[in-house]
Amino acid sequence: MLWTLIRHELLMNLMTFRFLVTVIASMALVLAGSIVLTDNYERRLASYNEDFQRHQEGNFSGKTYSSFMPRLDRAPNPLSVFNQGLDKRAKNSLQIKIGEVPFLWGDVNRNTGFSNPFRYLLADIDLVSVFQILFSLLALVFAYDAIAGDRENGTLRLILVNPVGRGLVVLTKYLGAMLCLTLPLLMSFLLALLLQLQSNAIHYGADGFLRVGGIFLTTVIYTSTFYLIGLFISSVIHRPATSLIVSMFIWVTLTLLYPNVSLFLVNRFIDTEERVTQANQAIDQILEQFYWAEEAPGDPFENPPLLKGSKSGGGSSSYTHLKKNITFIPDASEIHVPTVKAYFQELTSGRLRTAGTVWRIREEAFSETYIRKSNIARNALRFSPTGLYHLSTEAWAGTGLARVEDFFKAGRQYRETILDYFYDKKAFSSRQWFASDKGAVRWDDIPRFSYQPPSVLEDASNRALRDLLLLFLFSPILLMITFAVFSRQEV
Amino acid sequence: MLWHIVKRELFEQVNSLRFALAMLLTVFLMLVNAVGHIDEYKVRQAEYGKQVSAYSARLEQNSNNLYKLVLGGPGELYKKPSPLSFCAYGSENNLPKFASGKQAGWGWNAGIIDGNTYNVSGIWRLKYSGFPPIKAKDMFPVFLKIDWILIISSVLSFLALVFTFDAISGEVEHGTLRLTLSNAVARRTVLTGKFLSCLISLGTVFMSGVLVNLLLLYLSGVLQLNAQEWSRIGGIFVVGLMYLSVFIALGFLISTLVNNASTSLVILLLIWVIWVVLVPSMLGTIMSGLNQPSIRRGPSPVYFSRSGLKERYIARGLEAEAPTRERPPTPATRLWAEFLNEETRESARLHRAYLNAQIDQIQIAREFNRISPTAIVQYAIESLAGTGFQRHLNFLKNTENYGDAFNDFLISADRADPDSPHVPFVREGMSDKPVSFESIPKFQDRVRLGEAFKGAILDIALLVLFFAVLFATAHVSFQRKEI
Repeated sequence: MLWTLIRHELLMNLMTFRFLVTVIASMALVLAGSIVLTDNYERRLASYNEDFQRHQEGNFSGKTYSSFMPRLDRAPNPLSVFNQGLDKRAKNSLQIKIGEVPFLWGDVNRNTGFSNPFRYLLADIDLVSVFQILFSLLALVFAYDAIAGDRENGTLRLILVNPVGRGLVVLTKYLGAMLCLTLPLLMSFLLALLLQLQSNAIHYGADGFLRVGGIFLTTVIYTSTFYLIGLFISSVIHRPATSLIVSMFIWVTLTLLYPNVSLFLVNRFIDTEERVTQANQAIDQILEQFYWAEEAPGDPFENPPLLKGSKSGGGSSSYTHLKKNITFIPDASEIHVPTVKAYFQELTSGRLRTAGTVWRIREEAFSETYIRKSNIARNALRFSPTGLYHLSTEAWAGTGLARVEDFFKAGRQYRETILDYFYDKKAFSSRQWFASDKGAVRWDDIPRFSYQPPSVLEDASNRALRDLLLLFLFSPILLMITFAVFSRQEV
Repeated sequence: MLWHIVKRELFEQVNSLRFALAMLLTVFLMLVNAVGHIDEYKVRQAEYGKQVSAYSARLEQNSNNLYKLVLGGPGELYKKPSPLSFCAYGSENNLPKFASGKQAGWGWNAGIIDGNTYNVSGIWRLKYSGFPPIKAKDMFPVFLKIDWILIISSVLSFLALVFTFDAISGEVEHGTLRLTLSNAVARRTVLTGKFLSCLISLGTVFMSGVLVNLLLLYLSGVLQLNAQEWSRIGGIFVVGLMYLSVFIALGFLISTLVNNASTSLVILLLIWVIWVVLVPSMLGTIMSGLNQPSIRRGPSPVYFSRSGLKERYIARGLEAEAPTRERPPTPATRLWAEFLNEETRESARLHRAYLNAQIDQIQIAREFNRISPTAIVQYAIESLAGTGFQRHLNFLKNTENYGDAFNDFLISADRADPDSPHVPFVREGMSDKPVSFESIPKFQDRVRLGEAFKGAILDIALLVLFFAVLFATAHVSFQRKEI
């Protein structure tokens, strides 16, 4: 019986004009979107590869320990084709310095991936936004007359003459329509995957396919939520046209207005700049103090210069890093070398201490401002199915804030590893810290940086599934309410 | 008769649920918009004031020596923020806030001349960079700014469809249309009457939102507009109504073609989602991807040593003799001046070509986006409000005009000095006396009302065209419809 009813619903839906439109519209938009987004990803990847190559060569070309300041690059995420998240906008490189702990929150130049900075004027829509708008609308369009229409036609009465429960009617309508909506969705995903895999730049392993599967599952559940909203409205309101109008108002509110208005208001009313400026002032003060109290006194290159007659192969000095490379020290100045060594050892430990203090201030300021604001925004989004859909797919794709932060966390760990390595080598108190006249440093056994992004299981269990579960909760609740309303109604 | 129909329709519209919902939605969004913009303009205005005074201070400092002005140029030329940014946000944080009119960025120790090296630096030129970085505080889920454009283009157009989808098909379903037409009334009149009533009721919703918005901004003291700005707001309102007319006509067209009211709404919504939401955010981006700028990088400051320009002048004896302050000027002075002027002209041309290549890519995207009236109304309102891309192009033009005026001033100031050999723009050929700060032309980023309307005229014409085609088609199909 169940299967007969589902087949009936399925056939009724498949033969309609709206099904045809659904298939055509979703395929066309996915086709267009995939082409643009894949092209964009390729550009960003090319620019990343260029940077990576350049930095790889530069990172280990220093001759002294103090000139070791490697740059690390964050690879673009191919799944940003589905949900861009912050992948394109967040900082994508960091530099390891002795005197500074690397951090994410800073200005980002607009040159990543585009040669034309005006391109930021053009809207960039990802596939998830297409599904988010299109499939929620289509779900409502499929649902608005599911009950109201049958009631108006009188077919509902006819069906209920047979020995079928009302619960079964609701359930079959739901299952039939979902099958019908899943079909174009599946085709769209396959098309998107096919187009992406055409590109030489994108390779998905098992991990990648699981992530795409997660996004697909989330999209199905999202569509189901909107279908059930439509079904509920359809059972409450008797005229199909009115039910459609109400559905549409709810749709506009949930998909377009609520997310944008809530983010607009969060952005408007949560001011971060004051607190960050305050922290930056405190940091400047600490650095200044460090300079005058520890760095400037006893500087062996100032008056009187200890290493008189030495030759320098370039170098630089800033609050956060000191880079020295002395290529020649005359014999007459050799007696001063231990003093200089001691100065640098003292200075480096001072720098490390200052870097720790500065980082603690920064970390606190960031968690009170940017991270807090981002969390508030995310929680505000959780009140709408569209927001939940966005957050969950972002987590599946691994393009959210957490992932970007993760890269910087890995960078901070790498800095610790390097420091340990330097301690082991007694690099801070060595001659090679500042001079390469007795041979350059060999970088053979220095630990290399490698970033392993969290696996799909970690991402799913930590982030994606929570929002997916919240989104999923809508379905049984709505189904039960619809059933309760429908079973009490006169037909 | 027409008026009678309008009155009847209007009465029905205003008493419906959808009118109430529409009013609620629009007024709420307009309130959000006003609240969001209360402080923003003041902050930007203060920032702009600071930048302009820094510009003046720099200019005044450089005015103690004419040649310092020649080398240093006028400085950074800032774009004046529009007081109407609450109408059209215009993606301003993605656009440069200034153009730079500063040092050339190169110095050259020209060979050995008379036993000495002659040091020369390039004279000032306009450079178009200044794209603001993405700020840490903007690393935040992307959202659409709630401005008038969003409210008009997405929300009101949606409401227009909800208001019109059953205008004909609903009446056909109920049989009331047959009743109406049994009276001595032309179909033309019925359609026009229905159109007017829809426009009036939607216009009322729009107007109420606008009034609430302006009132709130006025009471909070943000809004201090002059007559010109009020007429811009009036222009924006009219453009908004024209845009709504397009969607009302579209609603009528589908409503006459389809006999079932719900089906007509379904079709309209699908058209709406594609035309309003998806096309403007995808089509232009796709097309711009096909038209990558041919020039990938701006010219480096010392491009002239690689482009053959330097060699050409060296072959003409540039390094043989240094310029002097002698009067009448020696051929060497003239040659150096010619070199510097050509270098500046060429550099300006390259910078401009690079900029044009970038602009072209965006223009293509905009041309294609104009398939959708949503993009059209966005561009028109941005032009009128003085924000966005069109405004940025105007600003660039202003900076260029100012650059010419500034150079003219330098030449005339040099003429006024009797001790100068008058060979601009080589150091030895020019006056190095102070000039009066007051006489230096100051950059004023003015956008005339006429220019703003001129920028919007194409888009307005396109809107009218869309409306005419849709309304005429609706009319024809209504005439032929069997009822």
